[in-house]
Amino acid sequence: MTDDKDVLRDVWFGRIPTCFTLYQDEITEREAEPYYLLLPRVSYLTLVTDKVKKHFQKVMRQEDISEIWFEYEGTPLKWHYPIGLLFDLLASSSALPWNIIVHFKSFPEKDLLHCPSKDAIEAHFMSCVKEADALKHKSQVINEMQKKDHKQLWMGLQNDRFDQFWAINRKLMEYPAEENGFRYIPFRIYQTTTERPFIQKLFRPVAADGQLQTLGDLLREVCPSVMAPEDGERKNQVMIHGIEPMLETPLQWLSEHLSYPDNFLHISIIPQPTD
Amino acid sequence: MPLGLASPRPRSAPSPSLRPRLAAVGEQSALSVNMEEDAFLEEKAFQHYCAEFLKHSQQIGDGWEWKASKDSSDGYLCKTHFQAKATARSLPGASTEEGETWFPMEEALEVPSDDSEVPMTAAATEVVRYEYHVLYSCSHQVPVLYFRASFADGRPLALQDIWDGVHECYQARLRQGPWDTITQQEHPVLGQPFFVLHPCKTTEFMTPVLKNSQKINRNVNYIAAWLSVVGPVVGLTLPLSYAKVPSQDE
Repeated sequence: MTDDKDVLRDVWFGRIPTCFTLYQDEITEREAEPYYLLLPRVSYLTLVTDKVKKHFQKVMRQEDISEIWFEYEGTPLKWHYPIGLLFDLLASSSALPWNIIVHFKSFPEKDLLHCPSKDAIEAHFMSCVKEADALKHKSQVINEMQKKDHKQLWMGLQNDRFDQFWAINRKLMEYPAEENGFRYIPFRIYQTTTERPFIQKLFRPVAADGQLQTLGDLLREVCPSVMAPEDGERKNQVMIHGIEPMLETPLQWLSEHLSYPDNFLHISIIPQPTD
Repeated sequence: MPLGLASPRPRSAPSPSLRPRLAAVGEQSALSVNMEEDAFLEEKAFQHYCAEFLKHSQQIGDGWEWKASKDSSDGYLCKTHFQAKATARSLPGASTEEGETWFPMEEALEVPSDDSEVPMTAAATEVVRYEYHVLYSCSHQVPVLYFRASFADGRPLALQDIWDGVHECYQARLRQGPWDTITQQEHPVLGQPFFVLHPCKTTEFMTPVLKNSQKINRNVNYIAAWLSVVGPVVGLTLPLSYAKVPSQDE
């Protein structure tokens, strides 16, 4: 259906207008201007900020520069989370542009993973893709692919090539004719209020009676506090890619159309905005 | 106790169908071991094996603990230990890498009786604190080993330090694909950076171990067997007595 294919494109090409400002305590030889950039929702911070790094390093001395890291309102930003997830979870209720502070010193070892190279990002991305396929197909589809197909997924993401990416990814979205969906749905639910970074459990897209499970069914099962009170006013928003899908949406459809390139549904639970 | 032998789709089948889960280990008659099938570990079985493993650890004072999750029924095994790294410096200009050896704390305090074994003229030791966690991955249906390491002053070890510290006999495998073997990842319960030994090949090497134990009618504790294989790669060893840990209540 053409409508559904459009969703894939809309998700892929989503952007967040961002303003990068150098941390005030960084040592510079002259004033550092903020740097503006449209960040792809589906990518990773360290994959798309080479220009940001170069821009600020121009006004700094080599000896004052070590590993770059980003922060929003005091919270170090996890580069291994997709950009869209970070924004939805931390900043969606604030006015645009998204204001991110750039650091080159005092890397927060206890909070952030190091990102020593693009290889680290690729390894992380592919590890997520493999984990998703373990859930969907017991790794059968990903294991049957050749190394060059895996490379194509990564290159598609790295170079923002929708067609190149989906030429391979479509195979990860298939399922046997006699089934109604994947074995289990790859998903992670994030809330800033919990100690645990995310909730991830085994969840089948089709119930025993053959009914397609919905987003609401998933939340009621793995995150019941989000749905309470059932008939009262909801205290939380359930957000994926900056939108609130209807809770009646079948999870299988969400998995096929609103997953990130790593094949996971990254779902943010955020407090209702007060305006 | 149920091993939780799941019946996955055979890799070559074009349109696989779901087959019912097989019966437990120990029910010999019910089990027809199909050599094509992999042995997956279900979460309840994981927790049971951990409980048995823990009992033995307590008996021998091996230091493992169970940390339960506050908000859910899951949890993980954890253990902290210290290792002393002896740095050998012999001739000036010689590479120190060849002389570096890791000793568990007790051994580091012993003086080698045969001087020709250890070519040291001056030795410095650094103590490293290792913390090992065994978590269950519901995606891969296997246990996963997470660990972190820091020097006495709190400085964490970097990924390169960890890669360099991997024992000689595993270096070849590591070099083949370091990013597929040990990487830094977020701990799924604590949310902090840890190193992880990738679980992708676990089922591959555990399946023959479990099938063999079935054949010879001896129950094996999955956690003890698995840890005895993966632990040594990252400096964690198990005393041999773990081999006798039962996998069901006797």
